[in-house]
Amino acid sequence: MLGLAPSDLSSVTVSEDRRKLVTRLTVLRYLVIVMFVALAMAFWYFQVVQYEKFREVAENNHQRTLGLRAPRGVMFDRHGKILVENRDSFVISVVREHSRDMDRTIRLLAQVVGLDEASVREVVRRHRGQPGYQPIPIVEDATLAQVAAVTAHRLDTELPEVVVERVPTRRYPTDAMAAHLFGYVGEVTEGQLTREGYRSGDVVGQAGFEKVYNKLLMGVDGARRVVVNSLGREIRTIDEVPPSEGRRVQLTIDYDVQRATEEGFKGFGYAGAAVVLDPRTGELLSYVSLPAYDPNTFAAGIDRATWSALNTDALKPLQDRAIQGRYSPGSTFKMAVAAAALEEGIITPDFTVHCTGSADFYGRLFHCWKLGGHGTMDLRHAIEQSCDVYFYTIGKMVGVDKINKWATALGLGVKSGIDLPNEVTGLVPSTEWKRTKLHENWYPGETISVAIGQGQVSVTPVSMAVYMAALANGGRRVTPHLVKAVDEGNGWKSVATPESAGTAPFKPETMAAIHDGLWMVVNAAGTGGRARMVGYDVSGKTGTAQVISLEGAKALKGRTDLDLRDNGWFVFFAPRDNPEIAGVVFTEHGEHGTNAALISRHILETYFAKKEGRPLPTFKPPPPPAPKPAVVVPTTGAGQ
Amino acid sequence: MFERRLFFHIDYLMIIALGALCAVGVMMIYSTTSIGPNSTLYVKQLYAIAIGVVVFVVCLVIDYRTLAENSLMFYLAVVVLLVGVLLFGTTGGGARRWIPLPFFALQPSEFAKLCVALTLAKFFDESRHGSPSMTDLAVGGVITLVPFLLIAKEPDLGTAITVLTILLGISFLAGMRLRLLGILLILAIVAAPVAWRYALKDYQKSRISTFIDPEIDPRGAGYQQIQARISVGSGGPWGKGFTKGTQGQLRFLPVAWNDFVFSVYGEEQGFVGVVVALGLYLFVIVRALETARLAKDRLGAYLVMGILSAFTFQVMYNITMSAGLAPVKGLTLPLMSSGGSSIVATLAGFGLILNVRMRRFTN
Repeated sequence: MLGLAPSDLSSVTVSEDRRKLVTRLTVLRYLVIVMFVALAMAFWYFQVVQYEKFREVAENNHQRTLGLRAPRGVMFDRHGKILVENRDSFVISVVREHSRDMDRTIRLLAQVVGLDEASVREVVRRHRGQPGYQPIPIVEDATLAQVAAVTAHRLDTELPEVVVERVPTRRYPTDAMAAHLFGYVGEVTEGQLTREGYRSGDVVGQAGFEKVYNKLLMGVDGARRVVVNSLGREIRTIDEVPPSEGRRVQLTIDYDVQRATEEGFKGFGYAGAAVVLDPRTGELLSYVSLPAYDPNTFAAGIDRATWSALNTDALKPLQDRAIQGRYSPGSTFKMAVAAAALEEGIITPDFTVHCTGSADFYGRLFHCWKLGGHGTMDLRHAIEQSCDVYFYTIGKMVGVDKINKWATALGLGVKSGIDLPNEVTGLVPSTEWKRTKLHENWYPGETISVAIGQGQVSVTPVSMAVYMAALANGGRRVTPHLVKAVDEGNGWKSVATPESAGTAPFKPETMAAIHDGLWMVVNAAGTGGRARMVGYDVSGKTGTAQVISLEGAKALKGRTDLDLRDNGWFVFFAPRDNPEIAGVVFTEHGEHGTNAALISRHILETYFAKKEGRPLPTFKPPPPPAPKPAVVVPTTGAGQ
Repeated sequence: MFERRLFFHIDYLMIIALGALCAVGVMMIYSTTSIGPNSTLYVKQLYAIAIGVVVFVVCLVIDYRTLAENSLMFYLAVVVLLVGVLLFGTTGGGARRWIPLPFFALQPSEFAKLCVALTLAKFFDESRHGSPSMTDLAVGGVITLVPFLLIAKEPDLGTAITVLTILLGISFLAGMRLRLLGILLILAIVAAPVAWRYALKDYQKSRISTFIDPEIDPRGAGYQQIQARISVGSGGPWGKGFTKGTQGQLRFLPVAWNDFVFSVYGEEQGFVGVVVALGLYLFVIVRALETARLAKDRLGAYLVMGILSAFTFQVMYNITMSAGLAPVKGLTLPLMSSGGSSIVATLAGFGLILNVRMRRFTN
């Protein structure tokens, strides 16, 4: 054991030294052993006792779950033409969790993609509530240049927390076609999150068809679990649940009819609305509200400037006039009065009234729109000529409550039940309405104005379409609707026609007389001659509705920028016997219904040309009319 | 010079243990670099081990007493090299540690440990018997302080402190009074705040402060420490398997083949592997302590002790750090971490230790 050479050992001190050395070495040995045991215990604690915890942490370290957004269902028109589809767009997002210095990230990113730093900061601030691993979209629908710039920097490991994703994004027709019909999509709002059980970051329908049928169109997002390295770069995919696309939906809309309708409005530069449907089923063929917006700007996240411009625009492009606009129907209301008078047995179609240009009711003089009067008129001619005095007279005989009853039966003053959001109700007054809402009694004189569609009467364009469909089909109130078929993943399945809201038992003679009148409006000496199509027996009615009373207009003259010109209507169906298309064209400040009739004819020509396989017509608006002769139209009487 | 009978006194068990640790090291270097630009690093390590074996044999064959006779020459040579590093050295990771040579870069601080051990062993052997006097300690201190300061200047505080442990180990074995040891400890404690204020660089300070609370800066200086512990902990009892560790493979641990090689080892081989490696290191250390006890003369005992002090300190510190239990410091794990100079110098050191053991019966 003692390895020291004896020659070195010369005294007791040496052996004492040696003992001391051995003791100290022994101490060191035990010290080292104790320390190694302590180390082993530390590793035991981490690797065995706390294994689960660290295993999880390590997994979170290197695994990421990336959402794969499901493409929304594609929308087709009734003949299978694609209306709304999806395209790939790039989203540049930031994952806060991976950022060592968010300030620097924001600064660099803003610089690289050419955005204002403050706005980027604001976007990040808005998302501060969500978990750090969830990407915050900074640039939606990024340009290729932006993507290239970011990718280049990311390769430099300068911005490892910046993620570029390819996501499916809605593609709508480029010219804002049917914008109010389609609506738009947007990121789910706080309120929708809690109410409707969406997940944060979901893109959902926020208006129009997209909103109503969101559940159908949305699809199910997929996910991809990937292994990433410490720079957040993907190494490989562990597993992937592919997204499943939303349901494909076939709409009742006819692309060409829709386009023709919009062409007509644009040819004149009118704002307004049009609803065209199949009066037998309620299937909508065309649905327009103008001015519109471009839903594409919403699809990839709308910027604030565009949004506020849309909101503050005096023409209210975000308002869907077809279901949210209430307008005075003017003369187009006269068929409801005629139907009431006939059905209640108060008159027959041969009942005549002599029009001298004005008549006295309850001590007040009411004028016909035609200064010299129409002479003696029966019902058919009164409709054809839109004789106000005739309808004053029968309106007084029928009374406001009966008018209300039959107008309601034809779909006015009630919701149509269309499958679009936020439809409003028009108003057909009654004595009870006045008593409960205004706490006043009905003055019989008010009935006279109601009889020609003025006064308190207001309608939405969509309810006018239902009204015309009911007149066309003999009294059945169809429910306008947009879905023809849905592909649930195993082929197209037709969707049942929604139940009609009721059928009024109209007598055939009533309908025959009204049809005759409407036919004469277009095909005889009436005001709707511009809608005439030889061989198709177009039946229709024009209407003009004051935006403001003549006295009011005079008072405001030269002192307002508001457009005070009258609104124009044309309602129609065709052919007269067995109608298969009906609709309404409402032109805001169109002054009278004749231009609306022209637009309607373009719609009808397109419809029939397509049906019969002829080339589709192009719309040529007439040259602007010569300056209108200054005709002083007397007080209440309006509507041709 | 080399008698045949010495051959029978070579400590083969020790050689097997050292070989096993080197093998584990090469394996781990292979694993941690299998993805990425350093994938041939393990080959370099094999070359270094080959050179190390040659140097090991040389250090084994030449009588350590002969080497000790020339210790002053070695000492001066290494001081010159350390000065050379400061003047001409190449920089890596913020420190100037290497002298570039045609085929490799020499890290003189690794060899400084050996030279200091040899010089101090010689000095304390020649000094008066019994407890070293204050003068002895002062001279020993100066011998140590010169390389200490040169290395600290690089800066490489970890290696510099390792050099200090050589003085501590040899003087302890030479019989330094425990009271004096206590005084030194108190001095160190007193000096710490002064060093904090004046001597430490910012990155060193942040490493220490984040050690105390890694969450101060989980993405910065505390990052490595947190990741090291995650690596070890997620290895579990049995490990994730060779080259299957996610922490090391995916670069959550920086320089996994070097300072944090043991963390990745713990991750891939689990607690079982850790116990095996700890056992090997403990065996090597205890075996060397025994060699010091068996040494024929005090020179041998001191030499073993000096070399062993540096080795043990580095092993303990690195393994503690690799479990996230010590501040991050650029100290390699001898025998396992990648690094040519380190492996050659370490094998040379063990050559000397085996040299002492082998010659325990000679005159």
